[in-house]
Amino acid sequence: MVVDHETPSLENGQTDKEVEENANVLQFMDSMDAYLTLIHSLSSTLRRGWLELASARHSMGASRVNTVLLDHTSHPAATSLLVTQDEGKVDSGKPHFTLCKWASSSNENSLLGEKQSSQDKLHPQLRHRGSTELCEEKTSSENKASREVDDPVQKERSKSLSMFGTLVSPKLRAAQLSFEAALETLVEIANMRSEMLCAFDQVNMKLEGRKDEK
Amino acid sequence: MYGFEAMTFNIHGGYLEAIVRGHRAGLLTATDYNNLCQCETLDDIKMHLSATEYGPYLQNEPSPLHTTTIVEKCTLKLVDEYKHMLCQATEPLSTFLEYITYGHMIDNVVLIVTGTLHERDVQELLEKCHPLGMFDSIATLAVAQNMRELYRLVLVDTPLAPYFSECITSEDLDDMNIEIMRNTLYKAYLEDFYKFCQKLGGATAEIMSDLLAFEADRRAVNITINSIGTELTRDDRRKLYSNFGLLYPYGHEELAVCEDIDQVRGAMEKYPPYQSIFSKLSYGESQMLDKAFYEEEVKRLCLAFEQQFHYGVFFAYMRLREQEIRNLMWISECVAQNQKSRVHDSVVFIF
Repeated sequence: MVVDHETPSLENGQTDKEVEENANVLQFMDSMDAYLTLIHSLSSTLRRGWLELASARHSMGASRVNTVLLDHTSHPAATSLLVTQDEGKVDSGKPHFTLCKWASSSNENSLLGEKQSSQDKLHPQLRHRGSTELCEEKTSSENKASREVDDPVQKERSKSLSMFGTLVSPKLRAAQLSFEAALETLVEIANMRSEMLCAFDQVNMKLEGRKDEK
Repeated sequence: MYGFEAMTFNIHGGYLEAIVRGHRAGLLTATDYNNLCQCETLDDIKMHLSATEYGPYLQNEPSPLHTTTIVEKCTLKLVDEYKHMLCQATEPLSTFLEYITYGHMIDNVVLIVTGTLHERDVQELLEKCHPLGMFDSIATLAVAQNMRELYRLVLVDTPLAPYFSECITSEDLDDMNIEIMRNTLYKAYLEDFYKFCQKLGGATAEIMSDLLAFEADRRAVNITINSIGTELTRDDRRKLYSNFGLLYPYGHEELAVCEDIDQVRGAMEKYPPYQSIFSKLSYGESQMLDKAFYEEEVKRLCLAFEQQFHYGVFFAYMRLREQEIRNLMWISECVAQNQKSRVHDSVVFIF
């Protein structure tokens, strides 16, 4: 029985290529699925926000929740969008969007809060035996920091709502939170769209490469 | 003298009481609301309202309709009815009818002052003012920089002048000061209206005392809930509560220190009329509180019509119409936003 040792390596080469192509296609489809899910989520968040706003107008009265109360004086934006390019990667040139919330006066605190929460996501807090006290101290100081972050954030939220008055209905605050969530979802959609388009370009490149080979 | 109104009331008030009872019969019924709740578009709502007393006010409105247009036109009907009653009224009914509109006057003053602070055009602000609260020099409010100027330049010649004594300062107008001004004015207005009704005596005093006390108590609860988590101190909060009502003074002492909705519930459940309101809500929830208070208010306003020869029917009618307009606004919003499943969250049936 003749064993063809060359065929397996050729198959491996083709397999690697196919694996890579499949990975690109899967990545594209995953990003498209995530994109559509985010669009759906945005739609339902906005629906909830608009109804809560109508509910607030019903509760407080049309004279208190009105477009004529929107502030036309010049003031710093409470929230800004940072656009960066992903450098040093194969798909360089892909834009990345970051939302800087409530950045007008509590910039450091808000960014600190975001950094802490992102670090928590990357490094979940594992319980270290023998260093419980250190962990607890760290946890309590983090809690204190997050409370300190929350208070300026709450103040910024109240400040932006103050155009409708300082004693506003909880329904208006709920509407504000819904629209804030919608803004975050919009930024996620932008990032996901960027990834999706990048993955699509990868798949397209491979397909065109195949056509050229043929 | 109480009990003898039947002998003299009709001389001056008989015609208008008959008019207002006729208007009451024109309020929308549960059948009307059921039809409205099934509408698919705002044009369907317009079509259903064309068969009611609102018909003439909406018939010339072009499509596409907006919810604000429906509310504006329905409000115009109320304003026309009010002006007709006011021009036919003699004292003291004419003063009583004017008192009913002072709340809207306060809202308009605050709207103009807040809008001016935000550098909005005065004409734009005047268009959004409630028509029942308009007065001649309202546009001049835009020039005032602080409350002293507000009083001296404009409000000294209006019915709101006596209510300003408690909030005149030279501090510049900002969002917090305006909010405190709004609530202080409203407190003073309610107390003045209450005293006026007490002076009238008889069935008017009895019925209006109950209705105004309920209004004062509801205001106290709303101020408490809305000020949770804000910079308003306990003392400032206490100062905004009216000096009458079922909750005065011990309920106010408890409300002043409340930090969350459950503490508010704890304070209110000691009073039987409000226990039934809070029993409809689950713990920690405040979304349905407005509807529960409106339902209780509508019940009391409808009871005012069970008795004759008093002025409370005029107040009750105006409030019931305002509730009806709120219902129409909510139904229109749910239809426009395609959220008909939420229609019954805030509609309060009157009959």
